[in-house]
Amino acid sequence: MWHRATWLLAGTLLLGAGVYSESSWQKIRPSVPEIGRKEIEPSLGQGVLLGILGGLRNIIADGTWIRSYVYWEKKDRAACEALMRTACALEPRSRYFWENTGCVIGYDMAHWEIRRRGGYNKVTREIQDEIFKKYARHGLTVFEEGVKYTGGSPSLLISAGQLSEIKLKDSLLAAEYYRRAAESRGAPWFAYFLCAKSYWEGGKKVEAYLWYRKQYIEKLLPMEDGSPDDLNHLRYFEEELNVPFLQRIPRQKWEKKI
Amino acid sequence: MLKSMKPSLLRIFWLARLTFLEAVRQRFFAFLIVLGAAMVLSSFAFRFLDFGHGELKFIADFGFGGLFFFGSILALVMTAQLLFAEIDNRTALTLLAKPVSRTEFLLGKFAGIWIVLGLFVFVLSTLLGVMLWGRWQELVILAEQTAKVAPQFSLEGVFSHALLQWFRLGVVTSMVLLISTIARTFLFAVVVGAMTIVAGQLQWLAQEALFKPAELNPFSHALLWLASRLLPNLQQFNIGDALALDPSAVATGAVSAAILSGGFYLIAYLFLASLTFQRREI
Repeated sequence: MWHRATWLLAGTLLLGAGVYSESSWQKIRPSVPEIGRKEIEPSLGQGVLLGILGGLRNIIADGTWIRSYVYWEKKDRAACEALMRTACALEPRSRYFWENTGCVIGYDMAHWEIRRRGGYNKVTREIQDEIFKKYARHGLTVFEEGVKYTGGSPSLLISAGQLSEIKLKDSLLAAEYYRRAAESRGAPWFAYFLCAKSYWEGGKKVEAYLWYRKQYIEKLLPMEDGSPDDLNHLRYFEEELNVPFLQRIPRQKWEKKI
Repeated sequence: MLKSMKPSLLRIFWLARLTFLEAVRQRFFAFLIVLGAAMVLSSFAFRFLDFGHGELKFIADFGFGGLFFFGSILALVMTAQLLFAEIDNRTALTLLAKPVSRTEFLLGKFAGIWIVLGLFVFVLSTLLGVMLWGRWQELVILAEQTAKVAPQFSLEGVFSHALLQWFRLGVVTSMVLLISTIARTFLFAVVVGAMTIVAGQLQWLAQEALFKPAELNPFSHALLWLASRLLPNLQQFNIGDALALDPSAVATGAVSAAILSGGFYLIAYLFLASLTFQRREI
């Protein structure tokens, strides 16, 4: 009887530990973004097991990335994307992996598919455009995912804006990405102009001017050089929109006379 | 109660001391500690080979990887080897003929091995901590000069991770002890132990699948439920990157939750090991 009770106690202890482990894992899980069940499934058999097991994730992510380039050279869309996504999954905080995966999918893969379908002469212009847009949208989802994991990397947002502008020909969508880049921490100086230009080209000229003007006064003017290029662009907008002289940005003492 | 436990604790202490001395004198321990240290030190030289990770992240990853990999090998091989050496050399028989119970013998073995593993983790973590701290100081100065954002680093995080790793290795040791008390040969214990470590590292997959029960049939659900209770989730001890380089990403109480979870498994496995060892013929 006593003997059975000890075995029962041991079993209960083990089950209790298992139940507690479930709740502790829920607390710990957000600190380990490197591992995602869905992302690793396609490439579990490709040498990434150690990375999922524990340490050395960076080295394995680097190795996976190099292997993905072998498939990039072979223009093997599925294998290339699977390995690039695996590198991203193993090291999700690395902007480099997300940026290059998004660019390869958004820019290169459409060309591979067109060639696979017989080349640019065989595939009609409309279908080519559809293919370009399909891959560009796919690339944008990669950038979006990267933005989430990297804590809003401005470089990724700018790359997403460029992809929207170049491949989707959607200036307003591009403007939204550039705006997010400009408003994020560590935004590069050119993000403001890219955003205003995209709004302008998308037909939202007044919004473009007002937003750019606000950013210029609040962020760009206090910079060491006073951001003369941005002021030049703003002067062009003021001219084009016929903004009354008194409502324009006050003339800066270092500003060149036009 | 405490008074009656004192002689028993004393016996466990002496057994642990003997096990510790025996383990520390082994060439295998020295070999792995040198290999681990070499790996931690070489990360500094290899950091130029990485693609766009933070420099500190690369060094930390290399060091934590060494700690994980060599620590696991040490816990696995040393535990099985020390227990089987006692049984094969018949020293276990001599010891158990004295007023030492089998549970005390097992607990003494565990404590001795766990202290050796603590030493291993402490040496490597200190080395890694010093390297990371030194490089972090340089990077902070560099960031100030180039008006860039300096990387984050927490030395406390490195040692919190060391504590987690020590508990992880404790769970591994207790698991291997349990297997060794059932196994007939050293090789069998090592092979099954290694497979259990791999399964423990992948246990989170079962746990995450259980969070979405709609995707599972009843049989898979039952199997995963059982697996996720019997095996420890060893992945929850691998939050070194976040602890050392981005402490804000770690939820409050996450470290203590992992330690507590490890502690529960450790006690459960040791209890089971003591029960199975009672029945073993030596």
